[in-house]
Amino acid sequence: MAELAQGLKLFADFKVDCVVICGVAGGARGSSQVTYDVDVCYSRDSDNLVRLADALRSVNATLRGAPKDLPFLLDEETPRHELNFTFDTDIGSIDILGEVQGVGNYEECLKDSNEFELFDIPCRVISLEKLITAKRSAGRPRDLLALPELEAILEHQRKTGIEEP
Amino acid sequence: MDKLEYTEAERWLIEPKPGTAAARARDFGVDLSLTVSNLRMTPAERVKRLDDFQHEMRRLRQAVLLAKQNGRTRSGTKAVR
Repeated sequence: MAELAQGLKLFADFKVDCVVICGVAGGARGSSQVTYDVDVCYSRDSDNLVRLADALRSVNATLRGAPKDLPFLLDEETPRHELNFTFDTDIGSIDILGEVQGVGNYEECLKDSNEFELFDIPCRVISLEKLITAKRSAGRPRDLLALPELEAILEHQRKTGIEEP
Repeated sequence: MDKLEYTEAERWLIEPKPGTAAARARDFGVDLSLTVSNLRMTPAERVKRLDDFQHEMRRLRQAVLLAKQNGRTRSGTKAVR
């Protein structure tokens, strides 16, 4: 099992309430852009923060790009004090967001999401419309690069009335 | 190789009308035939392909790193450092 699958399985195994966003969501929606990490928007419900921290500790998550000697304690208090984190883990890169720019928190993402079976794991995936909103709002070069194709896919769905298989 | 047959709906992307998002994407450099091939799959198949590709890229990267560590490429020439 490769990294994207393992990342999604991790959240499912620990019953973490989250919505898949960014590259994997774009891929699920038909984008041909490549991604190397799993990004999710997580629920900030107290019980969920405990499950999230347990999940991340189980794969030895460390802050990506931070000095190795930087003291970092990963427990449920960690995401309580900050929203967004990027991690290196034993199963690859995982980014967790408490809020998605232009869209909002987990509940907002969940409202505009669909459930897909990815690797036989039921996953909530953010809608194409909200993914476009998020990428436009983030405005980083890599987000802007992904936009034309996502907008073309959305237009295609609207014009042809073809929904996801 | 057989010529790919596109449905009418797929031609929205393959032969986009001026002023559409598809035309902008094509002009931006997006290969919309790849997009069409993705859209023919289910979301699960798309993410599986993404995962397979990522896995192969990682293997390739590791092979290149190994070759650099050994100081030579497979062709026998000195690796670029």
